[in-house]
Amino acid sequence: MASETLATRERRGSLLGWFRADTFEGVRRQRAILGYLFLLPAFIGLVAFVVGPMFVSFGLSFYRWNIFKPPDPIGIANFQRLLTDSRLPGIYGNTMLLVVGTVVITQVLAIALALGVTQLRSRKFAYFLRTAWFLPVLMSGAAVGVTLSYLFQREFGPINYYLGVLGIDRIPWMTSASTVMYTIIITAVWKNLGFIFVIYLGGVVSLPQEILDAADVDGAHGWRRLWTVTLPLISPIMLFATVINVIGAMQIFDEPQIMTRGGPGDGSRTAVMYMYEVAFKEQEFGYGSAIAVTLFIAILIVTGIQFALSRRWVFYG
Amino acid sequence: MLKGTAAGAAGLVAGLTPTMAPAQDTVTLHFHQSIERWTPVVENFQELFPGTEVAFINVTGIDDEEVASKTLTLLASGQPLDAGKASTEVTALYAGEGIAAPLTERVLDAKDELSEYFSDMAPILPETMLWEGDLYELPDGCNAPNMFLNVNMLNKAGLDVPPADWTKDDFVEYARATTNLGGEETFGYGWPIRIWGSWGPWHYVNNTNFLTEERAPGGEWFWETFYADNDDVGHRGGGFRWPEANANDPLMVEALEFVMSLTADGLAPGIELGGGQSLSGLFLSDKVAMTPAGGFWAGGLYNNGMEKGEFDVQYWPKWKSQRHQLGVGGNWLSSVTDNGDLMWELLKFSVRTDQMLALKDRYRPVMRTTPVRRSMVTEEAYEPTGPANWRVFYDTIDRPDTYPIPSPPEAAGMTGIHNRAVGLAMSGEMSAQAALDQAQAELEALFARTRGG
Repeated sequence: MASETLATRERRGSLLGWFRADTFEGVRRQRAILGYLFLLPAFIGLVAFVVGPMFVSFGLSFYRWNIFKPPDPIGIANFQRLLTDSRLPGIYGNTMLLVVGTVVITQVLAIALALGVTQLRSRKFAYFLRTAWFLPVLMSGAAVGVTLSYLFQREFGPINYYLGVLGIDRIPWMTSASTVMYTIIITAVWKNLGFIFVIYLGGVVSLPQEILDAADVDGAHGWRRLWTVTLPLISPIMLFATVINVIGAMQIFDEPQIMTRGGPGDGSRTAVMYMYEVAFKEQEFGYGSAIAVTLFIAILIVTGIQFALSRRWVFYG
Repeated sequence: MLKGTAAGAAGLVAGLTPTMAPAQDTVTLHFHQSIERWTPVVENFQELFPGTEVAFINVTGIDDEEVASKTLTLLASGQPLDAGKASTEVTALYAGEGIAAPLTERVLDAKDELSEYFSDMAPILPETMLWEGDLYELPDGCNAPNMFLNVNMLNKAGLDVPPADWTKDDFVEYARATTNLGGEETFGYGWPIRIWGSWGPWHYVNNTNFLTEERAPGGEWFWETFYADNDDVGHRGGGFRWPEANANDPLMVEALEFVMSLTADGLAPGIELGGGQSLSGLFLSDKVAMTPAGGFWAGGLYNNGMEKGEFDVQYWPKWKSQRHQLGVGGNWLSSVTDNGDLMWELLKFSVRTDQMLALKDRYRPVMRTTPVRRSMVTEEAYEPTGPANWRVFYDTIDRPDTYPIPSPPEAAGMTGIHNRAVGLAMSGEMSAQAALDQAQAELEALFARTRGG
């Protein structure tokens, strides 16, 4: 017995022994270490591809750098340039319009479709609709951009053709600065609706039946049940869906890049496109990084506001 | 390795058979080119230089500036690259920033090998690849925007292909006659927003340009070595410079107002930004009768279903002059490569006539671009596809006033400014004057940042 105790102490003395310790503490330690090991690949990825570049980008915003020459420290000159950049307000205006338009339409449609699909009696038809609405999510933004730019072509596009059949004048979907953002919003909604729809669908099918039945018994039907029972019950899901929808919309790039390249003028240019063009096309990585910092702060503020406001309408009961 | 390479090169010059080339270690060249297109040439090269492997780096983009920006990002991230393709738009960027190596010494050393190559091309083509007196690329393809004509639509309107000396007024008549043909919705003219082609040919024939033009001094070594007997090189120099913004020159405004009037009068559809994909679709489906395009469209239209005789080509119509734009493509050599000697051998090898013809789907079975070698622009080459006026492609390049597209080292920024201004004007958001005033101010700010002026 004495020799076993000694052996145990010796084992504990070494690193391997410390890890293998067969006490309650040792088991807890083993589980914790295993947990950290499982997290390690994701953590390395996070540091290497998210947090690291974020800090590098923040640092670069204080430099002038064009790849070819060593970075030249210029203090806050890039941020001063932001204040005098006459293009930036319009570009951020486009981005905000895109966020509001995309998020409002996507959220309303996704909730409506999720509620509608769960009411269908034909399960096959419900499966068909779920698949159909989700399919665009699986397509690349570039493919969507190319395809829809043909559909939206002013003179020969099928959309204007059918509008013409209905007696509606042709709409310059992509060739007018006053309409082009709406074209991008329609495209982004079509592309991303399926993803938000699936999130809501998951929430709607898992609503507690007993609460819905109780609402029925209490005489809450139709709109009243929707407003007072269903929506409050799925409000945590609405918060999650809205937050990721807003962040995604603030970073939309593929569709406007392929469809309009930001034109006409800056009519459909978003903050991410501007950042990309300044940094990668015009080789002004410092100024591009400064724009990235503003976008990061904008996303942070908007997300913070969403969480702050959520206390008023999200029901966790 | 270099010893082996040099010996191999010497063997090539001396006409040794491949088996006589000395053995060498395997060397992998990193080359930004199309693997499909270049594999036959690389295989032929490997017979002469058995130890050579080529790793192709594929970079795609909507336009040449985007390809260049992605290439530069790859370089910055540590991707080895020994050589790559570039067009006029970005040659000065690569040269000006020291990414590309000057080829001057190498070209002079290979004078005997390259004399035939340069003598087979119009002097403006290598001149476009000169930068401040040094040569930076061996050109292989070139395109000047000519007027492509949909013969089906001309026939329907009772028109012949216009003569070479047609004018802007003739063009407008053609556009009117081919708009709304037979009660169907068709357009006389169409163009996309970009630097090459686009509305550029109109301001060229209006004797002006987006930037002021200047020939750089130097380059005598080149002209004296390769064009000593050519009377057409006395005025040529060491490449082109683009000293100042010229966007709101009254002649530029006049040219933009002219193309705006075509859309306002219904002779052209709404103008989109892009590479011209929708435009080629409209041309192919007999919806647009005329459009600016280069020799690359001949093979492209044919491959997309247009038969020989259904399209033709003509010089740009005369306005104040009949001056044409030009763009040239070629390959540059990295200034930091460790394999410069071997890569240079491959670049030289690739511009031999037999190797240019070996490039897959480039010049055979149909012409997908205009080769810089005059001897390759033949009736036989255009026999499968047309157009009947195929000679126009190279004759445009031979015209004494043909001039490259604006291509300063700030080409990417310049292109963005150009496209935004033209987009605003064409969408009716701004007048031509206001849009080009805005472009002028943005160009001046860009040059102030980059040139410190």
